[in-house]
Amino acid sequence: MARTSPDSPSATSRLRSRGRRHVRSVLAYLRDRPRARISILAGIPALVLLLFFVLPLVFMLWLSVMDGMPPASFTLDNYLDVFTTDLYLRVVWRTTVLTVQTTALVVVLGYTLAYSMARFSRRTTLILLLVILPFWTNYIVRMYALINIFSRNGLIDFVQLALGLAQEPGGIMFTHTAVLLGLTYVWLPLATLPFYASLANMDDNLIEASKDLGAGPIETFLTVTLPMTKNGVVGGIVLVAIPTFGAFVTPTLLGGTDQLMIGMVIENQFTESFNWPFGSALSVIVSAFVVLMLLLGVKLGAGDTLSRRGDAR
Amino acid sequence: MIPATVERFVDRHGRRIGLALMWSVLALLWIPIAIVTLMSFAADRALAFPPDELTLYWYGEFLRNDSAIEAVVTSVQVSVIATLITVVLATILAYAVAKYEFPGKGVLQLVVTLPIVVPLVVVGVALVLFFGFINVGTGFWSVVVSHVIRTIPFAALIIIPTMLRFDENLEEAAKDLGADELDAFLNVRLPNILPGVVAGGLLAFTISFNEFVYTYFVRDTATETLPIYLWNQIRFEASPEVNVISVVFLLVAIGMIALAIAITNVRRITLQ
Repeated sequence: MARTSPDSPSATSRLRSRGRRHVRSVLAYLRDRPRARISILAGIPALVLLLFFVLPLVFMLWLSVMDGMPPASFTLDNYLDVFTTDLYLRVVWRTTVLTVQTTALVVVLGYTLAYSMARFSRRTTLILLLVILPFWTNYIVRMYALINIFSRNGLIDFVQLALGLAQEPGGIMFTHTAVLLGLTYVWLPLATLPFYASLANMDDNLIEASKDLGAGPIETFLTVTLPMTKNGVVGGIVLVAIPTFGAFVTPTLLGGTDQLMIGMVIENQFTESFNWPFGSALSVIVSAFVVLMLLLGVKLGAGDTLSRRGDAR
Repeated sequence: MIPATVERFVDRHGRRIGLALMWSVLALLWIPIAIVTLMSFAADRALAFPPDELTLYWYGEFLRNDSAIEAVVTSVQVSVIATLITVVLATILAYAVAKYEFPGKGVLQLVVTLPIVVPLVVVGVALVLFFGFINVGTGFWSVVVSHVIRTIPFAALIIIPTMLRFDENLEEAAKDLGADELDAFLNVRLPNILPGVVAGGLLAFTISFNEFVYTYFVRDTATETLPIYLWNQIRFEASPEVNVISVVFLLVAIGMIALAIAITNVRRITLQ
């Protein structure tokens, strides 16, 4: 760090030394007041999070039990509507089915990928990059990439026509399959990372020991590797299930109105129907699912995987 | 019990099968991106695979398109401001966490990571409700604030461990040698934690530049970021320019990751 001398004539350095003097006087004031120091340091980020994250969520919770925009009176009708209207029940059911299917697909593909990375491949750094780069590419771009492939005359049609599997181009846009593949595509890298971390952290000697004792590779996998990496698997499942349940971009772009998911209905309440309390109730239901998944994850031993993102140690 | 023949088969060929599967899955991840890049050079207006003719025409269209360029400018403005705020907040938070014990420390560390797990739609909706309620409404600064909330967990998850790895004795030594808090912070602590802080900033910028869902809810019509522009194009027009914008996003992602790796390492940014 280069330091400018205090008597330097330039205006910026004069400004900087004046700035430093101010900072020093503030620090001197705080030196004997450790409480004030901590409340400023921790307090500013805490205040921002409280004001623009916690409070909005609490406000939403409160609005979800109102019968209109405040001032309004207490009601549970918004929640009753969700569970008594056929349309919304179907939406909740479809969302649940898609979440289960997506999670299952991601676990199978992601675990396979992570297993080979950890056991068979020497170029793990390169492969980690190949996994993470698509994940860091814009979400909308990845959806558009899939639209390119799924739409009429896209890659899928091209391959099907070339192989003689189909006679006419049709594409698979706006189908359940399209949404399922889209969700799997976006969340696969996210789950692969915890799978890989748990596999890489496992003690390889355990596998050798199992083989020395006469177990074949499949039996070793089922009785040693899989149980040893259970926490990573549960962590990956939680990380995928949560955003899938709340998805709105993927079903909107790939599924359209034929494949409504909860996230789309929520969005609709705020952009077209303008029934904000009802939209809030739906959001609270999604949040309840999040809390449930997190509690389940921690109970099943994924606390470590989740808190590697949480506790930051 | 698994038949011995199957076990023997897997024992002999498992490695080859595993590697083949691994590269297949990686190919699945990359084929869509490769196709978008290829299609950005396609001459046709319609999305048909394979393209008949390759051209740079749509890149020129993109550069001549004022509203696209304006969206890029808005995106950069929002992301730079949000990243600066996020990095400052995450750094002072990390400093407090590393140096002091205070009530609510655990809760604060938990809450700072929560925006990652709550589905984007939920927070987006909660923010627009709340901004409406406190009469701030939607607009540029609402977008910036929402981006700070979106990026702060990622920055904190990189900067807090960096701060915890810093050897506090170094700062004590500097003070014993006559440095005051400011000198000790600027000349001893900052150079040590800078790689983590910059990596956190790069990650925050990348996420903010790509952010869509929060922005979608809290923006006004005047604040059109590039992802919003892209969304409108896809939903209402779908000109091949969309492929070009996709390539722009891809290049930004690659550039940011290359920078982040140059500063820290792959493991830290992926497995943290």
